[in-house]
Amino acid sequence: MTELDSANRSWTLISAETETWRLASDGKKCVKNQTSVLMAAESTAAPKLQFSPFFSALEAGFWHQLTQKKLNDYHLDESPKNIKGYYYNGDPDGLPTRLTLEFSAFDADGPTPARCCPAPGTLYNTNTLEAFKTTDKKALLDKAADEIWSAIQSGAALDDSSILNKFILLTFADLKKYHFYYWFCFPALCFLEGVQLVQEPRSLEKSFSDTQISSLTAAYDSLCSSSGTTALPHFLMKYTDDSVEVAPLKDLNAFFPDLKKIAVCVYDPCTLPQHPGWPLRNLLFLIAKTWGSQLDVLEVLCFRDRTLQGSRSVRHSIIFRVKLPDLSVSAVCPKSVGWEKNPKGAMGPRSVNLSECMDPKRLAESSVDLNLKLMRWRLVPSLDLDKVVSTKCLLLGAGTLGCNVARTLMGWGVRHITFVDNAKISYSNPVRQPLYEFEDCLSGGKAKALAAVDRLQKIFPGVNAEGHNMSIPMPGHPVSFSESTTAQARHDVEQLEKLISEHDVVFLLMDTRESRWLPTVIAASQRKLIVNAALGFDTFVVMRHGLKKAKEPQSEESSPMSASSSSSCSSTPASTVTPGASLFSNIPGHRLGCYFCNDVVAPGDSTRDRTLDQQCTVSRPGLAMIAGALAVELMVSVLQHPEGGYAVASSSDDRMNEPPTSLGLVPHQIRGFLARFDNVLPASLAFDKCTACSQVVLENYEREGFQFLAKVFNSSHSFLEDLTGLTLLHQETQAAEIWDMSDDDSI
Amino acid sequence: MMAGERSPASCYLDERTFRLCCRLFLQHSETIQDGWSWEQIKGTDEGFMKKTVLLPVKSSVLHKQHGCFMQAENMDLLTDDIQANVEDETAGVQAVCEIHAVLRYEYHVLYSCSYQIPVLYFRASTLDGNPLSLEEVWSNVHPNYRQRLQQGPWDTLTQQEHPLLGQPFFMLHPCRTEEFMKPALDLAQAENKRVNYIVSWLSVVGPVVGLDVPLSYCTEVSAPD
Ligand SMILES: [Zn+2]
Repeated sequence: MTELDSANRSWTLISAETETWRLASDGKKCVKNQTSVLMAAESTAAPKLQFSPFFSALEAGFWHQLTQKKLNDYHLDESPKNIKGYYYNGDPDGLPTRLTLEFSAFDADGPTPARCCPAPGTLYNTNTLEAFKTTDKKALLDKAADEIWSAIQSGAALDDSSILNKFILLTFADLKKYHFYYWFCFPALCFLEGVQLVQEPRSLEKSFSDTQISSLTAAYDSLCSSSGTTALPHFLMKYTDDSVEVAPLKDLNAFFPDLKKIAVCVYDPCTLPQHPGWPLRNLLFLIAKTWGSQLDVLEVLCFRDRTLQGSRSVRHSIIFRVKLPDLSVSAVCPKSVGWEKNPKGAMGPRSVNLSECMDPKRLAESSVDLNLKLMRWRLVPSLDLDKVVSTKCLLLGAGTLGCNVARTLMGWGVRHITFVDNAKISYSNPVRQPLYEFEDCLSGGKAKALAAVDRLQKIFPGVNAEGHNMSIPMPGHPVSFSESTTAQARHDVEQLEKLISEHDVVFLLMDTRESRWLPTVIAASQRKLIVNAALGFDTFVVMRHGLKKAKEPQSEESSPMSASSSSSCSSTPASTVTPGASLFSNIPGHRLGCYFCNDVVAPGDSTRDRTLDQQCTVSRPGLAMIAGALAVELMVSVLQHPEGGYAVASSSDDRMNEPPTSLGLVPHQIRGFLARFDNVLPASLAFDKCTACSQVVLENYEREGFQFLAKVFNSSHSFLEDLTGLTLLHQETQAAEIWDMSDDDSI
Repeated sequence: MMAGERSPASCYLDERTFRLCCRLFLQHSETIQDGWSWEQIKGTDEGFMKKTVLLPVKSSVLHKQHGCFMQAENMDLLTDDIQANVEDETAGVQAVCEIHAVLRYEYHVLYSCSYQIPVLYFRASTLDGNPLSLEEVWSNVHPNYRQRLQQGPWDTLTQQEHPLLGQPFFMLHPCRTEEFMKPALDLAQAENKRVNYIVSWLSVVGPVVGLDVPLSYCTEVSAPD
């Protein structure tokens, strides 16, 4: 380090702006700026040579290959391995002096990229972080330095001078986290007193004539080709005014008749105008050891050979003269340095976290995200993907509809999916319910809600899925058999209320009509968007429930019925679908009806259920996929509308108009008729006597809570019909059917 | 596609022609030292054309995006642990963090047997091998180009496993190759010129992902016989 003390005194830093990066050589206080002007103060002691150290540069492929080697080859073997790096002398200004390791680094005998010089390395890959920490770094460096020194002493380094560029790489690969810890060492033997500059570095174009430069280039190319290579790490040079000759390093004695003044060339990866790169250090040692006794002054050419836009130049090479100490009698391995600094400039290891590109789970997440972003890019800037991806979806029902809805949600990148179902997987399920397999049916079958979660996580580990194996209390299905059944029902209601409050969108995907009643009431009260899908044999309805205005009394609706059919089965009484009915156009979201608004009977009396939903549990197999997919796409379209669930309902008529969102229409309902391969988009108003979403029902629920709900569960359907005024309506309209009458709680 | 509909100037090329085109391309790259090389997969006859480009960037930009000191605390501990073991010959020297401010772009040209056209794979990383996300790559695209690129083939970028290396890469999906190759090939045919497919194709898709293809390729590289 004394080799630089005097240098520091004699160099003056004039300007230090427009930094690209700073380079720390092996000496103290050698931080200099590449674009700054460095001037030698000539009056002081002769300056000493400073070197620009290597920076390690690793391709992503190197880490991938190390992982493969560790897993398939090395296992627990910690013995040193031969690897290979390379460096290049053709960089444009502004790039750091690099030693590069690619995925091919493990093929130590493999080819080196054209015009690059190979550097042999030793890899020490430890099995534990502890071993990485405790490995004796000084011993590793000393060992490598000793090898270099021995090769210099024996003369082996003359025949193959690449040993001078030997490096060490210490690694620990944490393959659970895909974190890699590493530390490079580029061993350099140190002259105790430094290397004294006799003539300061200057560019070749200032020292050589054009003739000399082209002669040098030609001689170098010719030596390369006769050596069967495209880059020479070291060579010799002698010149006259009009010609330059070069020769291999080992021919030194024959090439120079007079050894007092010789010129050596080093393939130099550095681009700094005043400093040679690291590879020169050990070469100087080789020369000092081998010829130091005869040598007076050594001329050094740092050969830099770049081609920019097809035009080759070596003119920016630098040339200078040094006085080397005589080491010819020295027998002890000199002191050495070379461990690389970490990015903070301290002596310490580096680390890289490659989980993003190596962890299969992270890869799956980023691929899914990317595919969605591509869709957004095509629709830039209007598609708000985050709105979709961050939506928390509650799926009530994990059967045919639930499975298909979940898969479509995953396709949209929705991460938060919760299932509620109380059924077990039966043998008939897997062929229609794409989240289940045969194995899931064995031993009585797994709980659907839980098995669905497992499968989602297998499909995409990044999903945040949850399953609740629970029942949803239903109107007309008494819970009052015992205290415990009542307590259970109370618990189920509380659980459902909690789940609905924790989610943004509730999907009604059950296979019975009455099970949709409770979530409809709760979600309406909590102002949560409901997307409802129901199947007939070859018909379906997918709809969004109207979203009540926040905390405002519901305005009275005079329109008793909607223009659309009342149920999904084509044989229901109100199947008076009139596509394109303009009477009900432009209904705002808060006035739209729910699934029960179209009904003139309350849900619940399963023995007398007048709808055919339950009888229609067998539907054409494609229907659930179509309806499930449409349910999700409807949700996404609603989310894209600036008013969300309050968006005015699009109707079939609007198909010709400018769509309200970047994804198109936002209908209230999609009713599909598979027999005709046709869909219509009816919209209907909320019904003031609706058994689920009318004001009186919501008021009773909000006032009495479970007390009210229990009455609904325990009573026949007439309870709700009386409450809402349906009974009266029936009487007035002389409904032909015979109803179970009850005076309780009539209004 | 029905055979009768296919234009005489086919947008497809067979693997042999692909290799011949690459060989001519590489010859010119060698002449102008453009940095392209042929990478053979060891022990197979498969390979691809590769170029690495280093790009200095403002370190502050990169740090913000990339968190180059992701485990800074972690590493401090680690460094403290072992520091005593190594002689710091540069004690007192200022930090050299700026060295991180180089991005490395790797471009690979592969032949796709299923599409019968060349495909461009690429990835970008910092010098320690830490890969950049597509957003980070995108943020390094000059704002002036972004708008144009959004309409261009940038929207066909996907993340794919490199077919020969098995590592994740970004890929310009080949589905739209015909769209922009056909006019170029038709024009050449109208002018009775024979063009090197790789040159024409790479001149179009390269700049989209920051890969410069010097003009001399168009004038100097011939089509295979
Ligand atoms: Zn309703």
